[in-house]
Amino acid sequence: MSKTPHISQEDLALYAMQALTPEENRDTQAHLDDCAYCRAALSESLVDIALIGMSTDQKALPEGARQRLMARIANTPQVAVAAPAPKTVTSIPVREERRSRFGWLGWVAAAATLAIAAYLGYSNVQLERQVSENRGQIAQLAAQADRGEQLKDALTSPDAKRVTLTESKQPAHPVGHATYLPKRGALIFVANNLRPLAEDKTYELWLIPADGKAPIPAGLFRPDASGSASVILPTLPVGVEAKTFGVTIEDAQGSTTPTLPIVMSG
Amino acid sequence: MPQDYPNPNLEASRSPDRTTVNRSEADDMGLLTRIQSGDQEAMSALFDRYGTMVYSVALRVLKDTGEAEDVMQEIFVQVWKNPSAFVSGRGSLGGWLVVVARNRSIDMIRRRHPSEPVESFTLPSSTDLAHEAERNLLLKKIRGAMLSLPDEQKQSVELAFFEGLSHSEIAEKTGDPLGTVKTRIRLALITIRKALDV
Repeated sequence: MSKTPHISQEDLALYAMQALTPEENRDTQAHLDDCAYCRAALSESLVDIALIGMSTDQKALPEGARQRLMARIANTPQVAVAAPAPKTVTSIPVREERRSRFGWLGWVAAAATLAIAAYLGYSNVQLERQVSENRGQIAQLAAQADRGEQLKDALTSPDAKRVTLTESKQPAHPVGHATYLPKRGALIFVANNLRPLAEDKTYELWLIPADGKAPIPAGLFRPDASGSASVILPTLPVGVEAKTFGVTIEDAQGSTTPTLPIVMSG
Repeated sequence: MPQDYPNPNLEASRSPDRTTVNRSEADDMGLLTRIQSGDQEAMSALFDRYGTMVYSVALRVLKDTGEAEDVMQEIFVQVWKNPSAFVSGRGSLGGWLVVVARNRSIDMIRRRHPSEPVESFTLPSSTDLAHEAERNLLLKKIRGAMLSLPDEQKQSVELAFFEGLSHSEIAEKTGDPLGTVKTRIRLALITIRKALDV
């Protein structure tokens, strides 16, 4: 797990668009090599870049572009999967005097070598695929481990701020418990006895920064049949001290600004 | 305004149709597997699916039909030469092609050597676009979202994406504070992401 602070969304977007300086690029790459969390965030940034690209008006291809490409394809060899075979065959020494009496042995040897080479080439491709799949699984496991580490830190750190939220101006039936570790941007919120919501509504959790900046959306949640709900490790900026937390009721898709009243706070 | 950070739950639910996505992935992977075995018809089908999109992005950046076709050709030849590089763990092929088209085009503008690290990353499959009907619907939503952006947000995004400017270069060009530029781009991205949730 990386020991350096996570990369900001802005810098990840710049990295994705290759707009960082070479030095910044190197630092970012080094961090990404070691941080599954930021690699996952980078994937999201790449999606943003792809979406913007897709917003481009579609232009007709130049006349003949398809034919030109396919002609080039027809003359472009692929990365050979069984390329070693011919080399191995041509390297077999067959002396003239033996060819007359035992020529068939040479052909058998060549055929056998060709078969072995083809098999090895095929195995090589299979192994490469396996390695590639394993690499993806390792990245996933690393991301899970990173998240587990965050969860453990947030729950056990003495620096974590633990807050109990109650329904504003109401008997304290609905209760929410927030555990927040600013230095990791890690938040765990669990609520009980929540009132049911209309289908098109959702609860939204807000982090109110201590420095007076705008409330930060910290996750949407709807109570289950028993009135319980939770928000676990939402994406939050690192290092933001919380003055308080609040819960509002918003339209189902959530909001970027809290809609009054604040139904729970603490 | 209290809009500094994207809503994490909105991000988590951005995929519009998981069934469609899985089917699209399977189709792309099927084509790539055939390409791997040297099937030129499969290559042709892949080009029919994504060629226009890749060319349009390159043309938007380069503003030159010849150069845009060169970039498009290079990208598809790269896929043809080594399809196994895409078969495992690449995620959304359509999204990946768009990102590469944009980056290669910016490389051409800046006369710089192509830098590969970003291209080695996986895109989540929510941007798969193998089926024309779903693709058209998704593209319509994204374009609608772009058109709905306030002018200054749209300008900042376009300068970053299509001209390859960094945030500070955009601030210098527009005369706006750096923080304002960052906020505009962030808000624009949130709007575009939300378009997929509708």
